[in-house]
Amino acid sequence: MSEKKRKVIPDEFIPEVRSRVITLDNKDYLLQNDAMFTFYERSIGELSPFFLAIRDEKRILGCKCTKCGIVRVPPMVTHCPDCDFAPTQLVEMEQAGKMNTTPPITYFATSLFLDKAPFGRGRVILKGADTALSVMLYTTTGILVPGLIKKGTEVKVIFRDERVGQISDIFCVPTSELTPQQVAKKGLQESELNWEAPKEPEFPKPSKEDLAIYKQSLKEMQALASKMSQSKRARKAIEGWKRSIAVKTKAGEFAMFINNGDFRIEDKKLESPDFIIACEDPKTLLDGLMYKGAITDSVIMKKLWISKNLEFNTIFKLDRLARFLVMEQKEKKAAK
Amino acid sequence: MAKKVGIVGAAVTPFKGKWYQKTYYELAQMATREAVKDANISIKDVDAVFYGIYNDIFERACIPEHPLQGIIGMQNKFGIRISNGGATGAYTISAAHAYLAGERFKTALVLGVEKATDCFDFTSMSATPEVIKTIAWSGDCFFEQKIGWSASDSYAEIVLGYMDEYPGTLKPKVTAQISSLLSKQVRTNPYAQRQFDQVTPEEVMNSRYIVYPFKELEICVYSEGAAALILAEEETARAIARNSGKPIVWITGVGEANEHSYAGKNQKNMSHIVSDYLGSHRAYEMAGIKDPTKSIQIVELHDAFIQQLEISMAEFGLVPYETVDSLVEDGIMMPDGRLIVNPCGGLVYCGHAVGASNIMSAWSARNELIKRKMKTALVHGTGSTVAQYTACAILEHE
Repeated sequence: MSEKKRKVIPDEFIPEVRSRVITLDNKDYLLQNDAMFTFYERSIGELSPFFLAIRDEKRILGCKCTKCGIVRVPPMVTHCPDCDFAPTQLVEMEQAGKMNTTPPITYFATSLFLDKAPFGRGRVILKGADTALSVMLYTTTGILVPGLIKKGTEVKVIFRDERVGQISDIFCVPTSELTPQQVAKKGLQESELNWEAPKEPEFPKPSKEDLAIYKQSLKEMQALASKMSQSKRARKAIEGWKRSIAVKTKAGEFAMFINNGDFRIEDKKLESPDFIIACEDPKTLLDGLMYKGAITDSVIMKKLWISKNLEFNTIFKLDRLARFLVMEQKEKKAAK
Repeated sequence: MAKKVGIVGAAVTPFKGKWYQKTYYELAQMATREAVKDANISIKDVDAVFYGIYNDIFERACIPEHPLQGIIGMQNKFGIRISNGGATGAYTISAAHAYLAGERFKTALVLGVEKATDCFDFTSMSATPEVIKTIAWSGDCFFEQKIGWSASDSYAEIVLGYMDEYPGTLKPKVTAQISSLLSKQVRTNPYAQRQFDQVTPEEVMNSRYIVYPFKELEICVYSEGAAALILAEEETARAIARNSGKPIVWITGVGEANEHSYAGKNQKNMSHIVSDYLGSHRAYEMAGIKDPTKSIQIVELHDAFIQQLEISMAEFGLVPYETVDSLVEDGIMMPDGRLIVNPCGGLVYCGHAVGASNIMSAWSARNELIKRKMKTALVHGTGSTVAQYTACAILEHE
């Protein structure tokens, strides 16, 4: 959807006016749906040229101190605080540069960025600049994994097709994923990149041994799911959540159902699941549910494929299910 | 000559993932009630209150401290709120210390409180994404909020910057052992959110990535709770101590620093936490500590992330930068090691009720100094984007 047509608070974030009661130690406590909201028509003031240049001209501006010559990007000051406030001048910057340090990668994002994860955010020193510009980082090759962008990696500023005059109008990708012409071009837009489309993996034919492993793994997962549904703490991990998931492995396909605290696994194919999990070896998923390695990490390491990035959120909940079950078992043991 | 200032009373409420049973009004009063009881004084004996509350949105009110003034019995007296990101609690101690040392007051209440997990994301039906979104309003509002800035990714920038400069440090096996150690230490803290969550290093290493390079069991947990200290200048402190029968723990040094929030030439050094270096060394200087490796016995540091705990220890001068993993590999902070680090379980296991956290750390350091009959502890708070803010205090048991 166009950025320009979006509401400043998307409708899906807004809960209904409602309250509920939670009972603890035989006492009732009230929970009220609520919000603190303030709307702004915010002045961008002296920063306007920077954001207008991004929006209207696909240019990046910095500011240069007339005394010491330091070039700051973004141009956050009109006067240099290091030179007794000597004036600065706006200058146009190159649109490629090197990473100042290795950037982090966000897998579990804030509620506003759940649909954008995983993404990197780091600081690039554009050619000719002395300070670093904070940018979102992506790869055109799929999910961003550790090691792909490091300190010193050359990256290129890419402009969103729809720009509204905000810092999110730009992001960076490694120049190694671009053609020399794209690297040289000023104002390169996201639609000009060759984004690799998500593709469901294909598995080889299963052996007899694979089929036996599948059967055994499924049985163990079903038993675990039953335990999780009975665990007060584990149920909390999927409270209020509903998903039907088709799980495809080399040796067979089954279904996982999450329904407001209940977790069920059935040996059946789903016609229209909410999303698909594909993993060649069902033990990858079994290990995750047994708390012997995070399912999230299996997605990151490409051992497990999901059809929708947004469903990382459900994957996190599956990891929490496993952790909460183990925590409850530990607490029970400690109480004895 | 500034007046000597000491801690004569302290208390915390239980730290919980969610306090359904109490609002921040009651949590604040609970900690206050217990702190004055610990000092064996009346709230009427307290001259001033210093509130540590980090984030208005958590409490769902601007100036959230205003109802507390009467609720805690401090009406018609001096009250001021400190809000310095994650370092709020440590800065609140520092502010109260300054007023007492400057002879404005004889006694002060340092009160930290936070109610974080009322925030709730109705799209994922869980609190955490909304809690971290609320914290994410603390990022740079022109250049970073709109591109996914979060507390975790901004601290991860520093950790990765450190690893760029000192390759081979902050090894996952080491951070996993530290997390596991803290989970064992928390077992004796009945106020902790995760008192019974003892984990093995393998569990830490197997836990999921939240923000690379941080795994779930290497990150502090958001809590709700309150903590309070009663501070007094020397003569008053001695009189209170005589009455309560409890020893005074003196605050002999405080130090603070806030760095640049931008990176690059003449800006923030992204491979270090310079604020931790400056804050700790300023506190050492004030306390007359020449060699912290010989003087400091207990460290209660703000472990927002385990990797940052290691970096902070290096910035404090307690372990070399290049061999920071010797904290574990040479047993420096392991059982029977030279240093006791976060005996309360730290913020990773006791919990992070932001405005109250560093005050909880001071509560723990005081208890440990008295219990173990030790002399010197370092209390630390870090906060804001890229670990920009630091405040430290040196506590000494007479």
